[in-house]
Amino acid sequence: MKRLIGPLALSVILGIASHFAILNYAPSVIMDRAYTMLGERGTAVHAFNLAPRMTPQTQSVVRPSPDLAYSACRFDLSEAPNGVRVKMGSYDGYSSLSFFDAQTNNFRTIRGNGEARETRLLPANSAGNGAENGADVTRAPSQKGIILIRRLAPSDAEYAKVAEASAGDLCEAI
Amino acid sequence: MKRALIWLLFALGGIGVGAYSALAMSGLLPGDRRTGGPIEINGWHGDFAMGSEDASPYFRARIARHGLLALANTEAVYFTRLLDDSGQPFSEDCTYRLSGGAMPADWWSVTLYNSDNFLPDNSDNALSFDASRAGHGAGDGAGDGAWSAIISPNKPAAETGWISSKAGGTFDLTFRLYVPGDGVLDRPEDLIEAPSVERLSCTGEAQ
Repeated sequence: MKRLIGPLALSVILGIASHFAILNYAPSVIMDRAYTMLGERGTAVHAFNLAPRMTPQTQSVVRPSPDLAYSACRFDLSEAPNGVRVKMGSYDGYSSLSFFDAQTNNFRTIRGNGEARETRLLPANSAGNGAENGADVTRAPSQKGIILIRRLAPSDAEYAKVAEASAGDLCEAI
Repeated sequence: MKRALIWLLFALGGIGVGAYSALAMSGLLPGDRRTGGPIEINGWHGDFAMGSEDASPYFRARIARHGLLALANTEAVYFTRLLDDSGQPFSEDCTYRLSGGAMPADWWSVTLYNSDNFLPDNSDNALSFDASRAGHGAGDGAGDGAWSAIISPNKPAAETGWISSKAGGTFDLTFRLYVPGDGVLDRPEDLIEAPSVERLSCTGEAQ
C-alpha cells in the first residue's frame, strides 16, 4: 500500500491541475473559436459587419435573438497599437455598443438612447489616458475580442432602418 | 517496468477525473442543458453574473457555451426554463399558452431554442414574442399590460401571438429583459412577474 502513496499523490495533483486548467481555458478557447468563425463568415478585423436578419439559416452564435440586429467587429490591438476608433450610428429604437474580451467578459456597454456614440478602444496597459480632445476611452483587458452593436428590429421594416443606421458605424485602427 | 506503468495509470486517471469533473460541473458535457442560476422566478432560472468578471469559473465556462456574448446585468438580464408549469419538459409535440403582464424593463422578449442552443430549423419566422408584439395587439394585450401567445408547431387558427416550435424537439425558452428597471437587480423576485407556460394539449408520445 505504501508503494501507492506516490502515484496516488500524483493522481490527485494532476486531477486538480487538469480540473482548473479546463475551467480556466474553456472560455478563451470557445471565444477564440467564435472570433475565428466570425471572420470566416465575413466579419473582418477592425470593420463592422451587419449580420442578416437573425433566422435559423443565418445564425452563427448560440442563442441569438431574432428580434435584434447584430453588427460585429473583431478587434486585435496587436495590429492597432494606437487603438481602435469605434462608432455606433444613431438609431431611434434600442441600441447598444458592447465590448467582449478574450475571456468572454462584457467589459463595457454603451447605450445609444437615440444618439450616435463613439469611443477609442485602447490596450489596458497603454500610456496616457488617450482622452485627448475629450474623446471617450474604453480599456480592453485583452489584445483580441469582439465588439457588438445590438439594435431592436423585430420586423423587416425595422431591419431596413437598422441597415440605414449601420452606415454610420465605424470600427477602424487609429 | 511495472512500477512505471502504475505511475502512468494513476497519472492518466487523475487527469481524466479532473477533466471530466470540470466539464460536468461547468455544463460542458455533450447534452448538458443546465442553465441553473441562483435566481428562480416562476420556473425561470437566471444568474445576474452573466457576462461579468464576477462570474464563477464554472458559470463563465457554461455561459461561454450556452450564452456567448451575453450582456452584463446593467444592460440586460436573462432567464431560461426547460419545464412547463406542470414540471414537464417542453416538447414540440405539445401546445402551450405563454402569458404574462407588464415587465420592469425597456424591452423584453421570449425566444425558443433547440437543445443545441440555436433557433430551430424552420421557416415560420415566429421564434419569439416580444414587448412590441404584446403592446401592438398581436397578442391578447389588454389595458393592464396582460398578454399571451401560443407556442405550437403549427400556426394557431385564432389571431394571437405565436411562437413556432416546429423542429424544436425538446426545446427551452429564454426570457430577456433589456435595460432592467430600478431595483430589479436587487429584488428580482419582487419586481419581475415572469411569464407562465401552461401546457394545453399534446399529440403522439408526448400525450
